Amino acid sequence: MHRRRVLGLGAAAVAVAFLPRRALAASDPGAVLTTWYRLVLELVRHTATYSPPVASRAFAYLGVAAWEAVASDRGDTVSLAGQLAGLPPLPACDPGLTYNPAAILNATLSRAVAAFFGNTGPTGQRAMQAMARQMGKGLTGLPADVLARSEALGHAIADHIIAWSLTDGGAVVENMGFPMDYTLTDGPAHWVPTSLIRQQQTPLLPGWANNRPFAMPAGNSCALPPPPAYSEEVGSAFHAEAMEVYTTSARLTEDQKTIARFWSDDPMLSPTPPGHWVDIVLQISDRDGLDALRSADILARLGVAMADAFIGCWEAKFAHDLLRPVTYIHRVIDPNWEPLLITPPFPEYPSGHSTLSGAAATVLTASLGADFAFDDATHEADGLAARPFPSFWAAAQEAAISRLYGGIHFRAAVERGLDQGACIGAHAVRLRTLV
Amino acid sequence: MIRAIGFCLLALPAMAQEVPRFVEETASAGLTHSYTGGWEHMVGGGVAVFDCNGDDKPEVFMAGGTGPAGFWRNDSATGGALTLTPIDAGLGLTAVTGAYPIDIDSDGITDLAILRVGEDVLMRGLGDCRFTRANEEWGFDGGDAWSTAFAAIWEAGLAFPTLAFGTYIDRTQEAFPWGNCTDNSLHRPDGRRYGAAIPLTPSFCTLSLLFTDWNASGSKSLRVSNDREYYKGGQEQMWHLPSGEPPRLYTEAEGWKRLRIWGMGIASTDLDADGYPEFFLTSMADHKLQTLVAPAPGTLPDYTDVAWAKGVTAHRPFMGDDPRPSTGWHAQFADVNNDARADLFVAKGNVWEMPDFAAADPNNLLLQGPDGVFVEAADRAGVASTLTARGAAVVDLNADGALDLLVVNRNAPAQVWRNVGPVGNWLRVALSQPGANPAGVGAWVEVRVGDHLQRHEVTVGGGHAGGIWGALHFGLGAANAAELRVIWPDGSVSDWQTAPANQAVTIRP
Repeated sequence: MHRRRVLGLGAAAVAVAFLPRRALAASDPGAVLTTWYRLVLELVRHTATYSPPVASRAFAYLGVAAWEAVASDRGDTVSLAGQLAGLPPLPACDPGLTYNPAAILNATLSRAVAAFFGNTGPTGQRAMQAMARQMGKGLTGLPADVLARSEALGHAIADHIIAWSLTDGGAVVENMGFPMDYTLTDGPAHWVPTSLIRQQQTPLLPGWANNRPFAMPAGNSCALPPPPAYSEEVGSAFHAEAMEVYTTSARLTEDQKTIARFWSDDPMLSPTPPGHWVDIVLQISDRDGLDALRSADILARLGVAMADAFIGCWEAKFAHDLLRPVTYIHRVIDPNWEPLLITPPFPEYPSGHSTLSGAAATVLTASLGADFAFDDATHEADGLAARPFPSFWAAAQEAAISRLYGGIHFRAAVERGLDQGACIGAHAVRLRTLV
Repeated sequence: MIRAIGFCLLALPAMAQEVPRFVEETASAGLTHSYTGGWEHMVGGGVAVFDCNGDDKPEVFMAGGTGPAGFWRNDSATGGALTLTPIDAGLGLTAVTGAYPIDIDSDGITDLAILRVGEDVLMRGLGDCRFTRANEEWGFDGGDAWSTAFAAIWEAGLAFPTLAFGTYIDRTQEAFPWGNCTDNSLHRPDGRRYGAAIPLTPSFCTLSLLFTDWNASGSKSLRVSNDREYYKGGQEQMWHLPSGEPPRLYTEAEGWKRLRIWGMGIASTDLDADGYPEFFLTSMADHKLQTLVAPAPGTLPDYTDVAWAKGVTAHRPFMGDDPRPSTGWHAQFADVNNDARADLFVAKGNVWEMPDFAAADPNNLLLQGPDGVFVEAADRAGVASTLTARGAAVVDLNADGALDLLVVNRNAPAQVWRNVGPVGNWLRVALSQPGANPAGVGAWVEVRVGDHLQRHEVTVGGGHAGGIWGALHFGLGAANAAELRVIWPDGSVSDWQTAPANQAVTIRP
């Protein structure tokens, strides 16, 4: 039962010129949510620390924070405290007092975004400040006591989530995630650096699997069988996988090239793979006019699933420590071969984008349906046309195979990555959010 | 024509890789200046160096950002301590991000192209270090952008140079600048005035431009280095500049490969003397050193990065205890020890309290060894300043044949160092041709000792927001003479001539 009176702003609205997809009214918590998330997608792109695993972590905490803010003044929702590892009960509203849901959510997100992107550059800092100012203007029509009370609650929720995040093992990322020292595993099967970039001579975030998971019980809860045994023998399963990458690369169609680039989602040049899936949700939210409750529910589950996906995927990557196609093909097949995409600086098996996309598709299918068609316009501003998909799994499968087209993954990493993602995503699906 | 002399030119005499000592003379020279400002001056901070009073010791113009630009007459004694005297030359504009000297009207008096947050300004030199605004006289529309890069070249048959201006972010979009890069522009002359600016669309927040004959074809192309922090769908670019036709971008079908970096500055020289220049691109973390994959006539613009192999990644501070990645700005190839091999200076400095990048980020002075690999020497040379550098110039301020160093720092004092050696022998080469483009912009100068060849292209542009106008400097090692020739902008090639070391020479067609 919704016991408290919710005070709206009526005509008090603020136009945020830089967010064209959805007209913003500060009284609309749904618009508050998507507006902040749009900025977050840019901050992910423009903050050097934000490699895909780091981005997934931020999306999880921001999603949970948004959910708890949206759910804080309702009686028909369930907190994620107690369901997510290590999350204690959150600050609660006073049931006898009046709050404004948009003000709560705005306060939560403004503080949380500032915390998670504290190391962004001067332009990001200005953008966050400008966003806070513009959103604040839209709330000035509220009674002062309601505004102050709502903002205090929102800040308390954000502070609670931020404090929780500091104990997960992933809060401090140095040198963009590349350790200063790292010992490579001996043997021809294992990963070696593939980049001419000096910073990338050690693998990205080798300890990421040690982070506390969110909904998944442990980093190895969705462990994978080993990849095909390493072999340089013609006819072996491993050689055959490498030949598939090699021959596919040589015969790439224009559509396959487009697919590879569409899902490339390079850090610092895109919102990263987890940001790509968040962008898809924001586009659907805009298109279908999802309210704040629905959007926050989806974004929280999606964020949790993707963060767990990277923890699980990284656990497998460093357990198997497999070399990249470019290393093998240069060694065994063709020393002059080059993949279409830039090979990421960490072990190959499984494919991170595949695990992530399997988890995302699992969550979104559970939330929105198995045959939920949508157009994905994430990269339109970068000159890549929108792509239509009949379902989330169709998109996930395309994202996964794009890594083979791009020459950076073998088939086993792609297919088993999707399997691992489905397993991990199921944990987020089981979260209870509504009474 | 220089006089022929009877030196015996043998192979380049061996010379140990000396680390010259630089003595900071900022205070004693009288240099008091800072490039100041906030967001709109987080980039820029260029320095222009050129002789405007005919004493062969170049004057100095520095961008000031929110403060006025500074201009100093160079009163240094030859071979002596540096003395920079601030004077009012009519150049004290505000909102200046950088400047490039160039003789636009070919009257033998250096002019100045000034980049600004707001209207760009062309200042015509009047002689004796006096200047007057010439936008109206030359029909130049300075626009109202956030200008951050410049390059110029004389296209065949034209009286004035074609000017390229690079711009950064649409500053009206301060809350959401990403994806809001404004167009660069090309200004082609019509007689002795400029026509309407030609937009170089698409543009991707450019921080350095350079006209270069990258493929030894005799035709110039425009290289563009762009800051990926702000563009969407962008990359590094190169434009064809067909005579009398609109510029057009090199495409993947022509061999251009997509590269996306935080492009801040371009330095260029022909490091391996194969007839094709290499390009050093400053960025954040790893820097790039590009060399052609297949340097031969008809080559595609297909470059490979040899920064690591050559020791110039300059990706993090080489000293101190700050392990975070570096941020590079101005870069310049210059032979600071006169061992006949181009060295490399890189100005370093955090953009603006970016915690993912080094705060104490020393400048690099990378000395090239006989094997073509560069070795860091900034600390040993005494120029490893950790102030927030932007623009710089490696230039001989006291006419002693040893290249000195100027650095502009953001929200911190500019610095100047005198190179007190030891250095080898040297040669300073100026070009002079009749008519338009008297200084031979676009020419290649070749200097050889025995079978050791050095090649420099005469350019206006590159670096970060500033450049040098004047003679080219060549180290000669222990050689007491060198042969030299010029490939002029029209493609004609002068005969090899011999010049004794340690003097300035002027080559004419």
